[in-house]
Amino acid sequence: MDPIQSLHWILFLPLVSATCIAFFLRRQGSIAAWLSTATAFSIAGLALNLLLTTDGKIGWHHDLAKLGEISLGFGYLLDANARLMLFVVTFVAAWIHLFSIGYMQEDEARGRFFGGLSIFMFSILGIVLADNLLMTFIFWELVGFSSYMLIAHYFDKDFAAAASKKAFITNRVGDLGFILGIAFCLHHYGTLNFEALASVSTFQGVPIIVGLLLMCGFLGKSAQFPLHVWLTDAMAGPTPVSALIHAATMVAAGVYFMARVSFLLAPEVLQWMAVSGAGMAALAGLCALAQTDIKKSLAYSTLAHLGIMGCALGLGHPELAVLHMAMHAFFKATLFLGAGSVIHGCHHEQDMLKMGGLLKKMPITAATFIAATLSNCAVPFFAGWYSKDAIIEAAWHQHHYAIFTFLALAALATCIYSGRMLRLVFLGQPQSKNAEQAHESPWTMTTPIIILGLGYAIAAGFAADAMIPASSRQVIEKPLQEMAFHLSAPSTWVGIFALTFGLLGSLKFYAIFPGRDSLQVFSPQTYKLLEYRYFDHAYGWYINHIQRRLAEFIAFLDLLVINGLAVRWIAGGFTAAIGQLTSRTFHRGQARGYALWITLGTLLIIWFLLAR
Amino acid sequence: MPDGLFIFFAALTLGAASLLVLSRNAVTSAMGMILTLVGVAADFFLLDAYFLGVLQVLVYAGAVMVLFLFIIMLLSDSGESSTAYPWKQATLGLAIFFFLAAGVFWLFLWSGALPHTAAGATPPELSANPGEFTTSAKSFGRLLYTKYLLPLQISGFLLLVALVGVVSLSKEPKNEVP
Amino acid sequence: MENTTLAHHLLLAGLLFVIGLTGVLVRRNLLVVYMCLELMLTAATLALVAFSRFNQTMDGAVFVFFIITVAAAEVAVGLALIVALFRQQKTVQSNELNTLCD
Repeated sequence: MDPIQSLHWILFLPLVSATCIAFFLRRQGSIAAWLSTATAFSIAGLALNLLLTTDGKIGWHHDLAKLGEISLGFGYLLDANARLMLFVVTFVAAWIHLFSIGYMQEDEARGRFFGGLSIFMFSILGIVLADNLLMTFIFWELVGFSSYMLIAHYFDKDFAAAASKKAFITNRVGDLGFILGIAFCLHHYGTLNFEALASVSTFQGVPIIVGLLLMCGFLGKSAQFPLHVWLTDAMAGPTPVSALIHAATMVAAGVYFMARVSFLLAPEVLQWMAVSGAGMAALAGLCALAQTDIKKSLAYSTLAHLGIMGCALGLGHPELAVLHMAMHAFFKATLFLGAGSVIHGCHHEQDMLKMGGLLKKMPITAATFIAATLSNCAVPFFAGWYSKDAIIEAAWHQHHYAIFTFLALAALATCIYSGRMLRLVFLGQPQSKNAEQAHESPWTMTTPIIILGLGYAIAAGFAADAMIPASSRQVIEKPLQEMAFHLSAPSTWVGIFALTFGLLGSLKFYAIFPGRDSLQVFSPQTYKLLEYRYFDHAYGWYINHIQRRLAEFIAFLDLLVINGLAVRWIAGGFTAAIGQLTSRTFHRGQARGYALWITLGTLLIIWFLLAR
Repeated sequence: MPDGLFIFFAALTLGAASLLVLSRNAVTSAMGMILTLVGVAADFFLLDAYFLGVLQVLVYAGAVMVLFLFIIMLLSDSGESSTAYPWKQATLGLAIFFFLAAGVFWLFLWSGALPHTAAGATPPELSANPGEFTTSAKSFGRLLYTKYLLPLQISGFLLLVALVGVVSLSKEPKNEVP
Repeated sequence: MENTTLAHHLLLAGLLFVIGLTGVLVRRNLLVVYMCLELMLTAATLALVAFSRFNQTMDGAVFVFFIITVAAAEVAVGLALIVALFRQQKTVQSNELNTLCD
């Protein structure tokens, strides 16, 4: 099969699957589940095949509409970044589909869930393959929709419905900037095609505003400061969704997109992204300490890693950001799936303080979770180590010492919350009945965790050369070489300090008070500070006191001017006058009368035509 | 001066049409309509459109008018004939008719908008050129399945829609308002 | 046939059309009005056939074919409507059907 053909298959198979499920299989949950999973595995195979057999840039474009000079089209652009992303998305997604079969076993609405996963696959692959901004935007919105649909899977629960709305609306705020950025691009450069933009922008220069506006989309989708508030709430969705969408792929799509249009970002924009990303990484890392819900804690961890990726973009290393995104996708998916397995095993208990001692009860889950955690902490030769330390190193080498400090703090915080999680969930004694009765999950759930966790989170480190295919080498080779060269660099010291002090320290620290959070016991103020609801409060205040006032004012204006003056007085008076006039002549309720008027009108037209 | 057959059938057509409009009995009107349609079919024959003439008689005079008569019998409404003859209506109608007929005469005979061409040579029975006027039904088929394939499909679909529509319209409403 | 020109046929078609139109305008019985409508359609087909014959092209005649199809469908639906109307209002006199006006 030639590459373009297999790209067509990759993009449209999930759509076909979603359509089939939506129309025929909503009641047959198990058939829908297997159909969706089979689709995911076949496109993962196709993507792997593409990754191993093709090289260089592959492009395909089909114009859908031509408006004057501007052509709007549909097309693929498969370069090294896209290839890596394609592989990561399809591979992770395939295993998460398999995991979902076990996890959603008892759910009534499995058909809807798997249909949602398929439509999500279609949308995210559209973003990955898109060769122009407009197509990216369309699929971007589709991703937003499918995320909304999947967060609201338990829509009869208030918190899930509210969380889905929050995610959707927050994303809209970012997307407003995004579409303005697209419009500005079209106005300024006259094209939306990535390759054309790349060549035009090199000799025309880049206005700051383009980068700023396009960044808005990234801020929303990748949950960057200040639009990060939705991600932790999005954990209301089923755990596989959190793993797939809100940890591994969708939130990373923003990073991928920024890497794709990195030539459109002015230095000032990059500066902002680096600083805010690093700041957010440190803040979110610390906030993860004050969450007792295992999924929310992981969500803050995701925020921290997204901040690190944003920082890498800002430092001018899009390839490092994409590498970290790929690594993060694997270990974070493993962590979430592990958390899902734990939650499933503990009869839907999500509070970490009520778990404990699961190492013996769920050995497979525990082993993979620990491996992924070590990768998350960037232990040497685990996957996370390759990318994360390279980013910290890059900050040091560019003499951004503030950013370096923030990133080091983030690394330390990562180790601490990872240690806390391991201690609370897997070590010690069970703290509740649910945890005592925990059991290992079925094979559909453990296989994906083993594959993703052991097979990649660890192996990616040991055999990066073998695991990372040849075509992506050009993206990855450079950071790897830098890594080897600077093994004695500051980042190494940061890593060693964070690991010894953070990971081991927190393992000890959280063992002091079983069943309670040690930090909360020692310093309730700090704990409360880290619970981090300021942005929610601030946005709530803004919407209540400013937005609502404005809306009420506009509604009042509408009532007065549009409804009152224009509609009631002017238009209403006019029609009333005409109505009084015509109801006596035209509208007398006789069909023949109407026919007569029609005849007269026709004759008038004929006369007019003949008289010309 | 046109030839005799045309004059005869034109007179028949117009007379029957007048009967249709003037008669107060719906059944008589329907009879007039049938006669009109037969007259038009005859005119089709005079124009060498034999296939269409046959079709006209079959579809219109046959099927459609039977349907009409059937409905007239079903409804058996004789409200109009019970009252006095509506002279006012008739006068108005005549006025409208003469006004419009004058317009038609002016347009087709005296305005000079039409060339006074006689019919060309007798059309061939079948021609190799699909667009040329022929007398055989075969050329209809050829055009219908080449140039007019899409309209043909659409009209088939239209018939289907009409069928479904008629079925749903004529179903007895479940809770009829008294 | 040599003496019958296009104008004669069109005249016949036009007069038929005008008779039908007059009927539509003055008659009250919906069934008769409907027949008059059909008469107008037939007049149009006559004109089309005449044009087709005198221009030596087939298209007009094919068009008549479609008009007959559409008219058949229209008659079926229209009569069903009249029957449904009669069921509800117990009349087919158009001057008594003015519920919307009151």
